[in-house]
Amino acid sequence: MITITINGKEIRLEKPVTILEAAEMHGIMIPHFCYHPLLEKWGGCRMCLVEVEKMPKLQTSCTLYVTDGMAVRTESDEISKARKAMLEFVLINHPLDCPFCDKAGECTLQDMTIKYGADGGRFEEGKRKHPENIDDPLIVRNMERCISCTRCVRMCDGVQGASAISMVNRSNRTFVEPFSGGRYNCEYCGNCLTVCPVGAIMSRLHRHAYRPWQVEEEIKTVCSYCGVGCSMILQTRENNIIRVTPKSEIGVNKGILCAKGYFGYGYIQSGKRLTSPLIKRNFKLEPSSWEEALTLVASRLIEIKKKSGGESIGGIASARCTNEENYLFQKLLRAGLGSNNIDSIVRIGFGTAQRYMEDVLGQGATANLISGIPTSEGIIIIGGDPTHINPVLGVQIRDAFRRGAKVFTIGYTPGLERFRTQNISPYSFTETTLLGNILSELLSVINLRGENESFESKIKGFEGTSIEDIEGICRVNRIEFKKMIKDLSDVSSASLVIGPDIIQRSEVRTNLFLLTAIAYILNARVYLLAERPNEQGVIDMGCLPDSLPGGRPLDVESFRRRDEELWGCEIPSKTGLTVLEMVEAANSGSLKGLYIMGENPVFNLPDGSFIKESLKKTEFIVVQDIFMTETAEIADVVLPSLGWAEKEGTYTNLERRIQILRKAIDRQGMEDWRIISEIGERLGLKMPYGSSRDILNEISKVSPLHAGLTYDEIDKGFDLWPYKGTPLRHKLGAGDWPLTNALDSPDNNTLYLFIERHMFLSGTMSRHSTALNSIYQSTGSYGTPYAKISPDVAGRIGLKDGESVTIKTEREQIVLPVKIEKGMPDYAVLLSNNFREKGAMSLLPFKIDPVTKTPAVERCEIKILKREQE
Amino acid sequence: MFSESVIKELEEVRVKYPDSRSALLPALYIAQSEYGWLSPEAMQAVSSALNIPPAIVKGVSTFYAMFKHKPMGRHLIQLCTNISCMILGAETLLDLLKKRYGIEEGGTTSDERFSLIIMECIGGCDVAPVMLVDNDYYGNLNEEIIVEILEKYK
Amino acid sequence: MERVLLKNIDNPDSADIGEYEKIGGYSNLLKALEMQPKEIIEEVKKSGLRGRGGAGFPTGMKWAFASADAKFPKYLLCNADEGEPGTFKDRPVLEKNPHLLIEGMIISAYAIGAEYSYIYLRGEYPLANHILNKAIAQAKEKGYLGDNIFGKGFKLHLSVHQGAGAYICGEETALIESIEGHRGQPRIKPPFPVNVGAWKMPTVINNVETLSNVPYIIQIGSDAYSKTGSKDCPGPKLYCISGHVERPGVYELPMGTVLRDIIYKHAGGIKGGKKLKAVIPGGISTPVLRADNIDCPMDFMSMPKFGSMLGSGAIIVMDESVCMVKVLYRAMKFFEHESCGKCTPCREGTGWLSSIVRRIENGTGKEEDINVLLDVSGNMSGKTFCPLGDGAATVAMSMVKNFREEFEEHINNYGSLLTVHS
Ligand SMILES: Cc1cc2nc3c(=O)[nH]c(=O)nc-3n(C[C@H](O)[C@H](O)[C@H](O)COP(=O)(O)O)c2cc1C
Ligand code: SF4
Ligand code: FES
Repeated sequence: MITITINGKEIRLEKPVTILEAAEMHGIMIPHFCYHPLLEKWGGCRMCLVEVEKMPKLQTSCTLYVTDGMAVRTESDEISKARKAMLEFVLINHPLDCPFCDKAGECTLQDMTIKYGADGGRFEEGKRKHPENIDDPLIVRNMERCISCTRCVRMCDGVQGASAISMVNRSNRTFVEPFSGGRYNCEYCGNCLTVCPVGAIMSRLHRHAYRPWQVEEEIKTVCSYCGVGCSMILQTRENNIIRVTPKSEIGVNKGILCAKGYFGYGYIQSGKRLTSPLIKRNFKLEPSSWEEALTLVASRLIEIKKKSGGESIGGIASARCTNEENYLFQKLLRAGLGSNNIDSIVRIGFGTAQRYMEDVLGQGATANLISGIPTSEGIIIIGGDPTHINPVLGVQIRDAFRRGAKVFTIGYTPGLERFRTQNISPYSFTETTLLGNILSELLSVINLRGENESFESKIKGFEGTSIEDIEGICRVNRIEFKKMIKDLSDVSSASLVIGPDIIQRSEVRTNLFLLTAIAYILNARVYLLAERPNEQGVIDMGCLPDSLPGGRPLDVESFRRRDEELWGCEIPSKTGLTVLEMVEAANSGSLKGLYIMGENPVFNLPDGSFIKESLKKTEFIVVQDIFMTETAEIADVVLPSLGWAEKEGTYTNLERRIQILRKAIDRQGMEDWRIISEIGERLGLKMPYGSSRDILNEISKVSPLHAGLTYDEIDKGFDLWPYKGTPLRHKLGAGDWPLTNALDSPDNNTLYLFIERHMFLSGTMSRHSTALNSIYQSTGSYGTPYAKISPDVAGRIGLKDGESVTIKTEREQIVLPVKIEKGMPDYAVLLSNNFREKGAMSLLPFKIDPVTKTPAVERCEIKILKREQE
Repeated sequence: MFSESVIKELEEVRVKYPDSRSALLPALYIAQSEYGWLSPEAMQAVSSALNIPPAIVKGVSTFYAMFKHKPMGRHLIQLCTNISCMILGAETLLDLLKKRYGIEEGGTTSDERFSLIIMECIGGCDVAPVMLVDNDYYGNLNEEIIVEILEKYK
Repeated sequence: MERVLLKNIDNPDSADIGEYEKIGGYSNLLKALEMQPKEIIEEVKKSGLRGRGGAGFPTGMKWAFASADAKFPKYLLCNADEGEPGTFKDRPVLEKNPHLLIEGMIISAYAIGAEYSYIYLRGEYPLANHILNKAIAQAKEKGYLGDNIFGKGFKLHLSVHQGAGAYICGEETALIESIEGHRGQPRIKPPFPVNVGAWKMPTVINNVETLSNVPYIIQIGSDAYSKTGSKDCPGPKLYCISGHVERPGVYELPMGTVLRDIIYKHAGGIKGGKKLKAVIPGGISTPVLRADNIDCPMDFMSMPKFGSMLGSGAIIVMDESVCMVKVLYRAMKFFEHESCGKCTPCREGTGWLSSIVRRIENGTGKEEDINVLLDVSGNMSGKTFCPLGDGAATVAMSMVKNFREEFEEHINNYGSLLTVHS
């Protein structure tokens, strides 16, 4: 215990912190510019000077750690004089253009000047000139206003790890610059903007649009983009979101965001939003009244149910909708339509892995805190680049590496290039062989713990690896491989980060078994990357053909009975169809009605044209969405719903943390849950919900996982699994599914299509964000989507960067420019899944895996043709 | 990008340090002699050779006065004007150079023969005023001697 | 006094290892390797050697701190940045007596337990770079450097790291930043380099001259060494004198030699028999002395009593023809140019000071400018991150204090009456 006095007040501290931090903890504010709680200490601005007894000079409170018995004064004439002097120094080269600076009103420099010294400067020479730079699509840089606190640079380099800006020059000619001097070409996380205390680095999105004191409301909510679930503050004015900011005190993200979170909110105000219900008449979707549309939906569904039975109707739920909406959605299907055909696209990655691993490793096995990543000693990353799929989680891996963790990336992960101990890149589609060898090598050095005997016997029974294959098939250097194994077996706390690419494979079952076994042996925390904000929520709400809310298996009669009682209706006992089975059933004609909420299967599932053809064969499709999607286009009825920021509800992130989504803007229309209720009532169900809270109330009664939860409880901090309760106990499964064989190593010169999961653009929503499109295009510098290839491939075909080519798969062909990128594997062509008509996911062929029912994506050969060759 | 032999030279430098970041200053020297100045391409080359982000390379290189961020003449005159040299006449020499060669401080002659840089003390005060021409030291300068010396550099 | 640091430099081949060995070179290394590292540190402590880089910190104590830190590896860095204007004392050692420095470094590295060592050499010394690299290669060849020195199992790798024109990199933490490939800006202390230095490891940084004293201490023993030079500050000292003296140059004299004697006895007095006006005694970061205040023993302890500091021992002598306002202007321009830009008062203050002095110098100054000058200096003083900014303020204040009439005259008569002669 350390006891100090600040301004005569005695303060006790558990651990040594700086004077400034100690003071802030006790409500004593010390002025500062360069200090920021997220950043490495700097001590440059000299604003935080204080008097410390027995020390001859004033001391910077942001760098001096408290010691027992220290006596500090934070205000005195001498201190005020010094602060005034620092302000005078800062202001000699400051333009004092507050009247048209966007920061005025929330500018630390302005506030300090009012407090300590506003009586005019004595500097007589002309001020330094530095014209404002607006070359970048999103960031305005005004270096006349910069006070050289270096916060932005320390953020970019030390926290985000993008290292895209730097202080250049020295002395009073120092300023901040990206390499190009104009455009940032960075990760556009916006975190530099968050920490700038003055108006030197600002967003273009609201340039000269309002003054900070004209913000009408600040709403705390959760990001709508990915499964990290970053907390953010939405500032609104005149019923518009005018800015998004993080706050260092709140949320999993603790003050940082990514490009999508910081700049991508604009889609919600897009002019392309659906505004009215649409009904297909004469092959054309035409506006209708709500009443007509809702009645039509209900009557058509009832008709189909009567004619062909509940099992001829299916529903696709959405990981972009709230828990409450997904809960209601499955209730509508089960109770209202008598169908267990409920599933979602969560199945094709996160969902399958989550359920398998939980079964083998125990409930909650995948519910690990993101904050645990930086404290891991060893991290394995496979199946995608976390800095692109879940950027804020990716930043934690960078942090772990800086703290000394051993980081191993398997496959192409450009965002971790400078943050890894080793990168092991197995040749195209040979990850299974690599994982098999990792398992057997680890087995030879680590003893099994005996926790799950049946799984252990399966591990022991695993065969078919040979160390020769590491070189022969995976084409990985054996010494490098052994080095990784050695390092892995030495770490005492490991994390395993798994991305979708390793799951969306025809070897899905073996891959998952091996990953689970490796996690089991290393006792690793598992993180499943989640592209959408509520993937875990969709599962927990029972949007699965074989599971009721709260993860209760449908085939256990007592569970079914209980829910039937609560709902006052019958639940069919037969397991329903998964999402791809529904597509197949549609194709074969046995699925006649389909209700799709907030999902775009034609675009987001493999083999888009097959999906589209199949869905078209149904008798009736209703799509509920905020945009006219490729799927909505083929619907019979389209219902416009309210989106993120327009409604209240909860999301469950990839840590299984439940967080509240709050309404920030008023928009005419209905939330998804309200639309479902309206349809439900018309189907004869009682759905008298007045708000999303009423639904959560019901969930807390139906789902044992969520027992006793209310919004207030979540707000209080019971937002982490297992929430208020104890986890469900169940016998650990043996992971018994038949394994698939590893594929052979493919030929040298064949190119395969891979999906680029882009940091800026992730699909349906982001394509309606002007801001995100602008940076995608500016960093690609071709103004359109592009295909990425390695320099080697480019050399082989004779292509220049930016050259337009024809890309041909078995199914489609498109014309795109190529982007040549160092570090890309020599067998891959990367396309992002972002653009209308140019989505890449839909180009992939698949076979449905008979066990997991995931689309087992197969190698998709791709040809690049030079344009003149055509 | 660098040639094979430069990459090899860099590798030799790199192993002197515990990490590649520390080889940045030597690498910048090498790039400067390869490209003549630290053009964006030169900095990019350093960036990819050492795997250091380009913005960082720029931030570091612009901190140091001896790294040049614009093209230089064939010969670099570095004239000291700090106090010991100043009180012994460096300013007269500076005026002379400006007039005779039509060159500005920090500038280059139109025939690209000379670039002129004003230096802080270069540690030759005992023979002040002094200058460096490329890598050669010249002291005890006066108006005649300086012209005579510079005439040797074409 | 027998020369120690500049021994043999009149020999044109003094930089060659053979010549060095002829006068007993590397024999002190052999002697040192027969001692325990701890004993060497004790010897250096007892010798009373103080760092010659400017701050005068007891060298033995610094070594003891680093050696006591359990972290490994440790590093020894030689500060050969010699950036303080007026300073050229390390240069003859680097160019003419490199093996003395190398021998000193090997002994020092052995004492503190360092296996890797670097000489941070200022970029402006291309010749020294060439000579040092050659000397290192020779020493390596002879087995004085490498994996098994004198067969005693001690290993040391030594390389030269070239700076690139930044005065601040002479400051020890900025030097570390620079060697690690960063912008050369000082680090927060504590932690001190002896605990968390280069690459986060315990690091000793010593000046060229400091390290070159080490073989001599080993040779004659701490007792004898401590009896040379000043009482609190023993040993030989390199004084470099420039400006208006008859014989400018580097003089190796006992520490504590009186300034007047250095100027008049050793350097031959004022050039052309002119009248002395002022002396900057320790490089331009040290306060100026008036002509009537030069009877000061030049050592770390005595100089403050005369209102200045020993600094790097770089004496700049100015005769009556020199305009002090102009000198201050040039000094301020130096500080403005060399400020690293990290802290507000130095970054903005040095430029501000230089613009005020320029005004006064070119005849557009106003009466209140002198007070603003003093006030701005006062606002910098004691509030900067590192001593660079502080030094700039101190120098400005000392100039005004000692030559106020000259500043006033400039203001009243619209500029300088003196011209700098050439
Ligand atoms: C602004 C500044 C510049 C310095 N420049 C040098 C220098 O050029 N050479 C040097 O040896 N020490 C210089 N020093 C002192 C070093 O920080 C450090 O004290 C010294 O290298 C320690 O070595 P020593 O104990 O042997 O003197 C400088 C200090 C400051 C604050
Ligand atoms: S006083 Fe401040 S700005 Fe000046 S050199 Fe030191 S840290 Fe840099
Ligand atoms: S906040 Fe302490 S120096 Fe900037």
